[in-house]
Amino acid sequence: MRRLAFMVACVLSGAVLLGGAAEAHANYVRSNPASDARLVKPPTEVRIEFSEPPDPKGSEIQVLDTNGKRHDKGDVGPSGDPNGLRVSLEPIPDGGYTVAWTTTSAVDGHTTKGSFAFVVGSGPLPTPPPVPDAAPPPSPLEIAGRALSYAGIALGLGTAFFVLLVAPAATDPRRESSLLGLAGALIVAGSLTLVVDQGATLPPRLGVMLAVRAFAGLVLAAVSITPRLALMRPVGALAGGGIMTIGPLATFRPRRMIALAAGIAAAMTATLVSHATALGSLKSMALDFVHVLSVSVWTGGVVALLWGVLLVRRDETAEDARALGATVWRFSVTAMIATALLITAGVLQAFDRLVLIDDLYETPYGIALAVKITLVLVAVAIGAVNLLRWGPRLRAGIRARAALVRDTVAETAIFIVIIVAASFLTAFAPPAQPSAAAYDRTQHVAGLRLEMLVASGGAGRNTYALRVHQGLAPVAGAEKVAFRFTMVEHDMGQQELVATERAAGEYVAEGSPTAMYGTWKIQTIVRIVGREDVSTVFTLPVSAPTGGGTTTSQVVTIGPYTAIVFTDPATPQSGAPIGMFAVLVGKDGNPVTGKQVTATFSGPSTQAPIAGIEDAATLGPGRYKFAITALDAGKWNITISVGNEGAGAYSLDVSR
Amino acid sequence: MSRLLATVAAVAVVVSSFAINTNIALGHERRAVGPYTFVVGWINEPAYVNAANGLSLDVTETSSSRPVEGLAKTLQAEVIVGGGAKKLSLDLTAEEETPGHYAGSFIPTKTGDYIFHIFGTTGSTRVDERFESGPNTFDGVASTDSLQFPDRIVANSDLAARLDSLQTLVIAAIVIGAVALLASVRGLVIRRR
Repeated sequence: MRRLAFMVACVLSGAVLLGGAAEAHANYVRSNPASDARLVKPPTEVRIEFSEPPDPKGSEIQVLDTNGKRHDKGDVGPSGDPNGLRVSLEPIPDGGYTVAWTTTSAVDGHTTKGSFAFVVGSGPLPTPPPVPDAAPPPSPLEIAGRALSYAGIALGLGTAFFVLLVAPAATDPRRESSLLGLAGALIVAGSLTLVVDQGATLPPRLGVMLAVRAFAGLVLAAVSITPRLALMRPVGALAGGGIMTIGPLATFRPRRMIALAAGIAAAMTATLVSHATALGSLKSMALDFVHVLSVSVWTGGVVALLWGVLLVRRDETAEDARALGATVWRFSVTAMIATALLITAGVLQAFDRLVLIDDLYETPYGIALAVKITLVLVAVAIGAVNLLRWGPRLRAGIRARAALVRDTVAETAIFIVIIVAASFLTAFAPPAQPSAAAYDRTQHVAGLRLEMLVASGGAGRNTYALRVHQGLAPVAGAEKVAFRFTMVEHDMGQQELVATERAAGEYVAEGSPTAMYGTWKIQTIVRIVGREDVSTVFTLPVSAPTGGGTTTSQVVTIGPYTAIVFTDPATPQSGAPIGMFAVLVGKDGNPVTGKQVTATFSGPSTQAPIAGIEDAATLGPGRYKFAITALDAGKWNITISVGNEGAGAYSLDVSR
Repeated sequence: MSRLLATVAAVAVVVSSFAINTNIALGHERRAVGPYTFVVGWINEPAYVNAANGLSLDVTETSSSRPVEGLAKTLQAEVIVGGGAKKLSLDLTAEEETPGHYAGSFIPTKTGDYIFHIFGTTGSTRVDERFESGPNTFDGVASTDSLQFPDRIVANSDLAARLDSLQTLVIAAIVIGAVALLASVRGLVIRRR
């Protein structure tokens, strides 16, 4: 028992050490050129940063003009950033370009796709191609590989646990060996199938995990042979004695210990390439591991009970029936504990992975989970009948083996479907999968699933996207999707952005309605032909300036005035247009209008002075806008002067 | 120092924000339709749910600002909610005291945006215009919640929504009750055997 505890401790600590704070899918975070950027000068490369390390081997970045002609050199490689990729560009003329990227997660090999657009010179942004699902559906080969692996893990671990700790004496050794051999074969076949599915894009980390799993499968297969070797011991000795080296393993207890360790190791690999590891929390990983262990003990144990005990033992006499009843009782208690752990871990995991209860029928992940939950409940009900009805009969010396065989066969059939559902479950991205957006919230309103995504959490220009789904289907062709912005802390009036549909069910608007930090309410209005408006409110926190370079807002004293100066975007990039704003406030706190405000530039290159444009109707009173075509990268000192009344200094960092 | 600057910036921005109110919702929307100017809004503003209200329409000649009369017979109006989910034709009536002013009364029973669709002819000009409430046009219909005192009257739409949500719970309770009943009956039958 101590040895077993030691092994479990080793495996658990291994899981802790090997688990990284990674995400299951590499999502787009930012890029240079930025999405929808307007550049004065053509870039020489495109850099994209993702939410987790991408595998360059399985990744591609294509830069296409409006005719679909490629302008990248195809040399995708690491950008220097741990999560970044880059691709070189040929010299490109003015025009609109679409960057279509595909990347493979180095964590679990899942593929994500996306695209964005930028413009060199003037002209409209190209319409990006319809955005495919960020995480494409899994391939049948992947589902098959997962199902085979999970079936093998459950069978191997459950059988080993059953024969070692539940009913050591009651099991037929040859039948035990056949179950372990089958488990090993399933694990090896599943691992190989997953390797074939990934092909040349198999990330190294995933490759290591699958190799460990396949090795565990081989160990299970090897220990299943040892009783036969034991029977051959004299023959082996005659053959040269080499085979005698595994002689000790031929005794039951050590080989069962090894089988259990192999099963636990295989289960650990399942956790380490799962969504639990992707969520990056130790709690999630521990819950997932407990979930895998308990489901294996239960399901594999039922099969071991059926194949190794119920189909072999008899209950013709009262004594036989009582002996069988005692075995069934021991397993029933084990199964009850395993089921309690399984349900507890599963429910706690569901809290982390589902956003809304509606996810259970509105997302592929949720549907797979709902199917799994339903089947587990049916299996639990059958188990309860065994525990409360057939078990007591046997223990009372009454025959009930045939009924138990019938029920456990039914349970086994249900377990097969559960394992297939679990294969889908682990292959789909959970609804709570972290996205690249700074703000990502989902609400269910009037039968629609509304997911609001805001690209940046800072003040200034931003991109707002609303994904609208009804059930699993995106709601395309909405008559109008509008976002209305009101600030909670102050009465800033209400501003509206009307979104355009960029992809089926995805409505995007860009602008600067949340120019001030604080709490903003975004009322979304979705108007669908023939329906009443669907409206809800999202609360968006816009982060405060930290002075650490995340904002360009500065207070500048200009003679008798105070100016709040900031730029849009908040983090300007070289070659792209910059809107610089100065809000001029008098000593009485009121905005100052009708002044000649000028910005003079000193920096890495020459930039002519720019006169501020006052347009109270559009910008508001006292707000002056400086339309800067582009600045070179580096630090700029900008002097802002108000007529002859005074001048103040504003500094601006422009990134590459 | 940077913290001090940030605080000053925050205060300054907040103070200035009171004055920089760029998008005050207008009471009516003014739009040129051919040689005419249409001004559309609510009869009573702000418009509250379940309170008598209606379309307020003023038509003038843009060049002379002269009111245009006699349009009650040549123009039609309807009020629309959502994507045409529900429409109501309005009877446009002219007000003798205010030439060029027309009204179509109804009681808005939902909060949110409304669309006034005005069509027909004005002189020789064909008219087919949609005026939609919003931040830059005229206000939508607001809830009366903040005005109610001392007791709050729940709106019909809120009650309907609550009943809808309760319906699911009631169905679930009935199913659980039925299962419990079946289990009890089965238990009784087994005990009698």
